[in-house]
Amino acid sequence: MEFKQSGHLDPALTDPATRTLNADKLIGRWLNTNPQTEGLIEILIERDGEHFFVSALAAGENRPIRWPRTGATALANLEEEAGQRALALAVDFDFGFMKAETYLRVNKGVLVIVAYHTFLDGSRRSNYVNREFFHRRD
Amino acid sequence: MQFAQIRDRAEIKSHDARNIDPAGLVGMWVNSNPDTRGVARMIITESGGKLSLRVQAIGPDGLIDWGSTDIALFASSPSSRAAAGFMCLYDFGFAETRLEAMILKGLIVLAQIHTFRDGRVDYFVREYFALDHGRY
Repeated sequence: MEFKQSGHLDPALTDPATRTLNADKLIGRWLNTNPQTEGLIEILIERDGEHFFVSALAAGENRPIRWPRTGATALANLEEEAGQRALALAVDFDFGFMKAETYLRVNKGVLVIVAYHTFLDGSRRSNYVNREFFHRRD
Repeated sequence: MQFAQIRDRAEIKSHDARNIDPAGLVGMWVNSNPDTRGVARMIITESGGKLSLRVQAIGPDGLIDWGSTDIALFASSPSSRAAAGFMCLYDFGFAETRLEAMILKGLIVLAQIHTFRDGRVDYFVREYFALDHGRY
């Protein structure tokens, strides 16, 4: 088996049980803990069989801006939460003028999203990274 | 100006030709976890205005050199010119590893997203790295 670090040889990565990790901690509607956010107001994580989808509402000028429902990559998160196996998601949103490459995970009941924004429109805005926290709404 | 959230809005003066300043990133960053089974250290160098990253990871028989790759810098907002993180990609053939770094309180928080092409389960690891400043 090929590897580039010892972690690539973790037996959990070939364990069928890892593929069916409980995703309950992630699924649902999440609300930003900061009501004054200028970023994402709300995140919805859905599951359809083995596939995960993420959509969001972001703060807009007059009304929220909808971030489209986008397929996510499910990732085993093997080394957090005191060794408990959990799921994380990676999802990339493409707006044409800008892309946002994100990952989401739950830590102590809080959903954390880290987003790397890359501008593609020549506006000379700096590409930027930010992190936001969400609590369950449902 | 297009935006996908209020935070994206920032008017940059046309004469402002500055790029994101990588100050503080260059050097060797060491994993805070001595028992890691992943990235042991990252060496960031600058040459001709471009930043490169070299990763050395823990293997069963010693360090594995991943080689060097270019990194893309990120600020903390669209109007900032100070580096707050970076991103890069390693393609190993059997797997692809995306490294996403964020600077928090002087540490690099490194998210590693490993996706396999050989049937193994994709996984995620997040670890902390401190700059080896060599002062004491």
